[in-house]
Amino acid sequence: MKLRTTLASSALALSLAFQAHAADVPEGVNLAEDQTYTFWLLDAIKSMDPQINTDVEGSDVLRNLFEGLYNEDGNGELVPGVALDHEVSEDGKTYTFNLRDDAKWSNGEPVTANDFVYSWRRLADPATASEYAWYMELMQVENAPEIIAGDKSPEELGIRAIDDHTLEVKITTPLPYFPQMLVHGSTFPVLQSVVEEHGDDWTDAGTLVGNGAYTLVEHQLGERVVMEKNDTYWDAENVVMEEIIALTINDVNQALTRYLAGELDRVDIPAGQYPRLKKEYPEQAVSTPYNCSYIYMLNVGDKGPEALKNVNVRKALAYAIDRDIIVDRILQGGQKPSYNWTHWAIADFERPELDWADNMDQAQRVEKAKELLTEAGYGPDNPLDLTLQYNTSEDHKKIAIAASQMLKQIGVNLTLDNYEWKVHTDRMQNQEYDMARYAWCGDYNEASTYLDLLTSYSGHNNGEFYNDAYDKLMKDSKTAEDPQPLYQEAEKILAEEMPIIPIYHYANVDMIAADIEGLPENNVNNTWYGKDLYRVAE
Amino acid sequence: MLSYILKRLAIAIPTLLLLIVISFLLMHSAPGGPFTSERELPPQVLANLNAKYGLDDPLWKQITTYVWGIVTEFDFGPSFVYKDRSVNEIIAQGFPITLTYGLLSFAVAVIVGVSLGVAAAVRHNSALDYAAVGVSIGAQVLPNFVMAPILVLVFTLWLGWLPGGGWQGPEYWIMPVIALSTSFMASIARITRSSMLEVLTSNHIRTARAKGLPERRVILRHALKPAMLPVISYLGPAFVAMITGSVVVDIYFSTGGIGKAFVDSALNRDYAVMMGVTILVGALTIFFNLVVDILYGWIDPKIRY
Repeated sequence: MKLRTTLASSALALSLAFQAHAADVPEGVNLAEDQTYTFWLLDAIKSMDPQINTDVEGSDVLRNLFEGLYNEDGNGELVPGVALDHEVSEDGKTYTFNLRDDAKWSNGEPVTANDFVYSWRRLADPATASEYAWYMELMQVENAPEIIAGDKSPEELGIRAIDDHTLEVKITTPLPYFPQMLVHGSTFPVLQSVVEEHGDDWTDAGTLVGNGAYTLVEHQLGERVVMEKNDTYWDAENVVMEEIIALTINDVNQALTRYLAGELDRVDIPAGQYPRLKKEYPEQAVSTPYNCSYIYMLNVGDKGPEALKNVNVRKALAYAIDRDIIVDRILQGGQKPSYNWTHWAIADFERPELDWADNMDQAQRVEKAKELLTEAGYGPDNPLDLTLQYNTSEDHKKIAIAASQMLKQIGVNLTLDNYEWKVHTDRMQNQEYDMARYAWCGDYNEASTYLDLLTSYSGHNNGEFYNDAYDKLMKDSKTAEDPQPLYQEAEKILAEEMPIIPIYHYANVDMIAADIEGLPENNVNNTWYGKDLYRVAE
Repeated sequence: MLSYILKRLAIAIPTLLLLIVISFLLMHSAPGGPFTSERELPPQVLANLNAKYGLDDPLWKQITTYVWGIVTEFDFGPSFVYKDRSVNEIIAQGFPITLTYGLLSFAVAVIVGVSLGVAAAVRHNSALDYAAVGVSIGAQVLPNFVMAPILVLVFTLWLGWLPGGGWQGPEYWIMPVIALSTSFMASIARITRSSMLEVLTSNHIRTARAKGLPERRVILRHALKPAMLPVISYLGPAFVAMITGSVVVDIYFSTGGIGKAFVDSALNRDYAVMMGVTILVGALTIFFNLVVDILYGWIDPKIRY
């Protein structure tokens, strides 16, 4: 109880203290004439509709066209967006948001609480058929599951406008990290009149009305997106970057060439090139932690191989992999090897001490792996044969080849199967695999976004790892005073049962133009906003 | 001739229908669907999506609804992946782009290729001939996905003369056209050359020369037309190869053309876009082959339809 009210009031205090101005240009800095920011997209933007969009690149664009209740600053902390602050009820199930009264849509109309009510209902509405409808369930908003199933109407969603600038949300279980979830694009407001007037065409350039710092000027599918500063944005006078352009370049090496030619301000560094680029362009090559984890998921369900049902086999497989080689010789991008599931840079999370990670070196782990395999009954006269499937990518292939060599050392014959991505995913979801390459990206900056995945009631538990103690820990963590110790216990269970083989935690490895400032340096979600950017004069 | 054309067009329709049905069935036989993703959708959400796009109907119903939509309203349906856009819109944006650089590449390949081939044949065994053949062989084996990055490296990064990609004006057309046309130009040059060499030894050319006609007239008026026959036969398959080549151009030069949509829609299981582009390409191929056959008849009076 006490912790929750403390959390609530500190959230209040934080947000009031942080009257975050858009671009924090320090004193005495000269701004360049040209305030255009051009960044790289791997693929075409699939949708400009916040409730329809499903991918990270779409979110990067949408965050500039729309604004949600809260934003994140360069360190991943929450700052006011449309909402100035909020109050939480004693039981942690009712949130009341105070919205600012100067927020406007790009057509001049004021942003009201109703706009959020409309967009949240829309997200859950079966008629919208959003692929992200489950996010409303994840937020535990009242009646979300029933509405998605079609048993209740969207009007019964646990959100209502008390008045134009006060929004009330009711959730079924208290979630300590609920405010963090509001940064996600699916919760952005949309203007009902525009959506209803134009239907599917409402997101076209020129028709799209947003409440973000920029408006959509041009969208050539597969070629470019152009956004221009929106003068009706409540903080427009502090927005320095005038124009934001996103160029779609389907080949990352080509994109790097064009970055070096000056056509882009930011691009991903192709795998393996970071050391060289860091040497040649030390100020431009950057590696920051990124909220995704790379693992080999083990099929411990009924359709999986007998061998994987033995915990000693699973541990042996995990111990034998030399993560340092993968991170230092193959990826070479500043990624960190992982011995647990939750990303190391997640706020407030600290990996508990794990025997196999902290008290053994790789040579000892390999020895132990051999022992465990022998105990399980495998050896030269009874070799262990397994398959590892991965989706098409040079990097996945290299890591898989390395893994197969490492496992060969302990006498495991690993067959590698490369599948096109949809086939790979389909097979995983039907449990048609032994070991499969898998990555999970967190939806918000808190450990449960990872740990919830391996509960028996999660819809994503493709390995079918069912553990009652683990389930209980995760259920209890929702109402605990401090969930962190429970998360650590959960990670310990994962280390004891080894349903997944952790390989590494992601990093964002980019080339960023030296004269661009304002991009987040410590935000594990890499949530950047065009309104925070500015270009410095030479 | 006219009845021949009408007959060909009449056969085109059942051909297209067969193409639609086979493509449709093949596509649906691949594992995975448009909504298969790492975040496995909860069953209810998936059910809502399938209902919205009619994917829970039996296959025969999906095909007939689809064909009916095309025949009655020319509506190719919504994209399952680019949900803001219909297939018509996607094709309307991408096709003119592909058509522009496609036609330009074709024109460049034919004009330059034929000229080079004729020049090489006329100056047989000269330095020009050897150079032309040498360059042709080199250009023919250089794949366009190697040439594209090299072009960008040279012209964008090193020289800074041309933009590295995009589609904002004529200067954006130059490198895609070069990348796409080069290997065809080389093939056309070699075919023209050998065909021309053969024609130049024929009787009617000897007669023309004996009559005292200037060499230029001999070549352009009497030799060129018959020499073009093998080139024209080559144009049919070349057209198809250029379509697949356009995928590479789209990827490397970010043109936003339809070639990439073709490949992407297969990988994304975006059934509607895939069908739309398949039909488009199928119709174009049929049409183009018809044009080639008519050209054939025009050039060679011995061929009568």
